[in-house]
Amino acid sequence: MFERFTDKARRVVVHAQESARERGADSLRTEHLLVSLFAVPDNLAVTVLAAHNVTRADIEADVDRMRGGPAPSDADALATLGIDLDEVRRQVEEAFGPGALDRTRAAQSRDGRRTGWIRFDPSSKKALGLALREAIRLEHHYIGTEHLLLGLIHEGAGGAFHVLDGRGVHLGPSRILVEELVRGKRAG
Amino acid sequence: MTDATEVAAAASSRDPSVGLAAVASLRGLLESLEELQVTNARSQGWSWQQIAEALRVSRQAVHKKYRRFGF
Repeated sequence: MFERFTDKARRVVVHAQESARERGADSLRTEHLLVSLFAVPDNLAVTVLAAHNVTRADIEADVDRMRGGPAPSDADALATLGIDLDEVRRQVEEAFGPGALDRTRAAQSRDGRRTGWIRFDPSSKKALGLALREAIRLEHHYIGTEHLLLGLIHEGAGGAFHVLDGRGVHLGPSRILVEELVRGKRAG
Repeated sequence: MTDATEVAAAASSRDPSVGLAAVASLRGLLESLEELQVTNARSQGWSWQQIAEALRVSRQAVHKKYRRFGF
């Protein structure tokens, strides 16, 4: 799937993995890909968005609003129930030794989930497939960040689509813009 | 407002994302505590039957869950 990706497009996907993980998401969604377009400097997707007067801050604000920000830590979540995780850990370590609670297999498999590969949800899979279709349509022999952006718009149902639609970024004009930008690059 | 009342206020929040995250973290903590206690009981020579009774679950359930630990 990723063989034809340019280096920048690949870096977007890797960053989306990291950002999904940091947010404690159980799957990688289109909005993680959208936010990650801005993580790679100087790419055509960002140029297309800039032409629509859409900034990184706009997109990040929209996505944060959609998902209610990052997941709370265990300590914060348990505090809402009146449970002091530090105190529980202290009591357990008194009985079973330093690090006892965090050394359990149960705790380590939970951490493993936060460091492993996060699966793509159906919308983001579809968007990646459509990025390829957009590249083929434009007769480009690679998948760049600009095709990822077109794929996210074309997908038509995920979080990224709704954010972009709300900011006035639509498929037809974006395709034309990408075509012009790529032609311009080749010419000069 | 004290910390305790702030916590109580948060706990009574009807925001599902707060409540569900708390349940998920509590489940994780429960799993770690159970594992520690079962490990300790086995190392002190408790039978699966005794552990199951103390945990108020079936012997099969506790054995199935922890036999891969090799004790």
